[in-house]
Amino acid sequence: MSITTIIVLAAAALLVVYGIGIYNQLVALRNRFQNGFAQIEVQLKRRHDLIPNLVDTAKAYMAHERDTLEAVIAARNAAASGLAAAAANPASAAAMAELGAKEGALGAALGRLNVVMEAYPDLKASQNMLQLSEELTSTENKVAFARQAFNDQVMAYNTYRQSFPPVVFAALFGHGSDATLLQFADSAQIQSAPRVSF
Amino acid sequence: MDFFRSQDAARRNTKRLVLLFVLALFCLIGITNVLLLAGLGVFAQTINVPLFQRIDWALLAWVSGAILAVVAFGSLYKILSLAGGGARVAELLQGRLLQPGSRELHEQRILNVVEEMAIASGTPVPPVYVLDEPGINAFAAGYAPSDAVIGITRGAIETLSRDELQGVIGHEFSHILHGDMRLNIRLIGVLHGILVLGIMGEYLLRSTRHSSRRSKDSGNIAVVGLALLVIGYAGTFFGNLIKAAVSRQREFLADASAVQYTRNPAGIAGALKRIGGSAVGSQLDNPAAAEISHALFSEGLARRFSGLFATHPPLGERIRRIEPGWDGRFDLPAASASQAEEVTRASAAPLAAEPVADAGQAAALSALAVSAALLAQAGNPREADVQQARQLLASLPPALLQAAHQPASASALVCLLLLDARPEQAAQQQALMADKAAPAVGQALQTLLPAAGTIRPEARLPLLSLALPALRQLSPAQYASLREVLLALIQSDGRISLWEWVLQRVLLQQLDGVFVPRSRLHHTAHRSLQQLQAEVVLLLGFVLRVGAGRGQDAPGQQGALPSQAQALFDEVLAGLSLPGAPVPPPEQLRLPQVNAALDALQALKPLQKPAFLKACAALIMADGVAAVAELEIFRALAAALDCPLPPLPATLTASA
Repeated sequence: MSITTIIVLAAAALLVVYGIGIYNQLVALRNRFQNGFAQIEVQLKRRHDLIPNLVDTAKAYMAHERDTLEAVIAARNAAASGLAAAAANPASAAAMAELGAKEGALGAALGRLNVVMEAYPDLKASQNMLQLSEELTSTENKVAFARQAFNDQVMAYNTYRQSFPPVVFAALFGHGSDATLLQFADSAQIQSAPRVSF
Repeated sequence: MDFFRSQDAARRNTKRLVLLFVLALFCLIGITNVLLLAGLGVFAQTINVPLFQRIDWALLAWVSGAILAVVAFGSLYKILSLAGGGARVAELLQGRLLQPGSRELHEQRILNVVEEMAIASGTPVPPVYVLDEPGINAFAAGYAPSDAVIGITRGAIETLSRDELQGVIGHEFSHILHGDMRLNIRLIGVLHGILVLGIMGEYLLRSTRHSSRRSKDSGNIAVVGLALLVIGYAGTFFGNLIKAAVSRQREFLADASAVQYTRNPAGIAGALKRIGGSAVGSQLDNPAAAEISHALFSEGLARRFSGLFATHPPLGERIRRIEPGWDGRFDLPAASASQAEEVTRASAAPLAAEPVADAGQAAALSALAVSAALLAQAGNPREADVQQARQLLASLPPALLQAAHQPASASALVCLLLLDARPEQAAQQQALMADKAAPAVGQALQTLLPAAGTIRPEARLPLLSLALPALRQLSPAQYASLREVLLALIQSDGRISLWEWVLQRVLLQQLDGVFVPRSRLHHTAHRSLQQLQAEVVLLLGFVLRVGAGRGQDAPGQQGALPSQAQALFDEVLAGLSLPGAPVPPPEQLRLPQVNAALDALQALKPLQKPAFLKACAALIMADGVAAVAELEIFRALAAALDCPLPPLPATLTASA
């Protein structure tokens, strides 16, 4: 066995060990963002669970605003199904985009509800409503926080996957495409009544 | 067996494992060579040539080299894959991490059970992974108690009652506390190399069976495959021998410990009976189960090895050891239907007595006696500790508990634990937070402020431990921000109190290990006090100075030392068989140096850790008063050294 063979074999072995390291890191980063999505799911579910309560409380006072209320419930159901679809497949870009769109729509519907509620001061001041609003705001904040964490983790995965040595092996190891960021306007900003200007 | 001795024994067992592995490798190579020679007809030749000359040594050398290479490679690959710690094992089995804020009843229940056990034994709350399997099984993996991960199957979560779950989790915690996990991970890595031979053989055989070519090539490949398979089975034979040698006794020990922690033999016996009585038992469908079969709660493979090669003692035998009067029947009524009340912690009776909150009551206790008693309890929670953990959790305001389970509010909770008691300082800290912390964290802190005054000293460490799983979910950027905020809060009043140091130490040690992979060092604990003398002196000096400075209002000072301090210091050092040394000046005792010294001390031999901890205790309690706060700090120091201590003994808080 000549010296060149030994050197070649050693180099090959080193390359394989390096490859194993890259594979492990890709797997670790992907698992991390998938877990990150699970945390978003927890918060979004909480948000979805609060909304029927909100609508029931509002119904008692706003008997004539059925359309707005029904729009909120419909948006909430759509968002819940969007969430289930995305949870089943966090790597799918389509599911993420769907979820983003539906959550955005839910945020918009809640915003419209807020505008309408301005006309019912005793509803706004009721104990129940204050408490629900408070919980909803806190959940919105947590959604924002979890979404930020998820996006950070997705960015870390994408950056690593695209950087030099891993990009060569990524497709081979089953990490062929980038993960998708989750985009939707965080409704905490929409909660505040929009400024009307003429 | 006490905690420190079993950690020590676990390390010695690793050496035994390496020996067995090398022996197995030699036997494997020997068997292969003999088979090869027989195949070549060397033994059947009738020519009158001595055996020695008939053998083609070059060929044997090549074959041996090839086997060595395959095994070494397989082992190396697996060891590198598992370098990420317990979480890697869970991911290997396709486990799903349970979110701390989960709303699903079964998940909430198992998370609560794990939390109680973790607080009772003083370890950080481990992440819980769920395996999507119908069988009833569980495992614990990781390199150290602070790195532990618990996995449990969906079948177990849904079929077992709360008591039975507690028995299973107690069993797993016993593995964690007795140091079995590090050995298990090493075993998985090392054995994979040997098992690779069998896997290769099986793969080749299967591919020829499915191939449609009926050529000579296919026949040759089949022969090679068969040969590899035979060698592979030989390899698996040795693999199982090694696994069995290591695991059967540990299982009995773990069962006995589970009974000790919960004082409820019916719990773990019930779980074992359910396994025996169910159709699918504890089998795991995942093919990766073969690799970790020795680390599971009960036999995970369909093909059970009996007798010498079993990784687990027979089910009946295990049940009989726990319940001597067992009648041999496996039927049990279905788990109780009142799940809802089982999920939440048992509505505990109010605490037997108000906890000791001031120095006066505790003054009569001998500080060293208490710390010695605590050390004896290390890694050995009793049923009273578990009950007390339950009561502690039940007594915490729900707002704080919920906060600990979500990443944003957990960050706020940790900041809350750092808030100064003095109003001006607290106001300054809150201004800092408004400035530097993320909006969600700031808002969560505002919500938690009213509860700040209700946190008792002995609840601080458990709250920290409860918050850890949620904090692990932060993104690296969020963690960096939290770290910055914490350090700013600590330094805001210009001095570091012992609690602040302990909090940042415990928290950052855990979380840096998750977010900064290079900072997780798998320490081989082999250094003695003599070798680490400089670090020991530094740390003891720090403890002495900060302990003396407690209660002083002058900022920027670490407390002027009373005159006998140097004498006490020398006395303590003498107790550790170290030469006397001057107490280090404050300039040498900055955070980075102190933390570096504690990092180095992780490499201390397990049997010398109690001595060091007793020395720290002597210094902390040198003023003769054993306030609850000080004992808690002692617990925290032990945690920083990876020695989990249970909470204050129930008798201590109840007595006058």
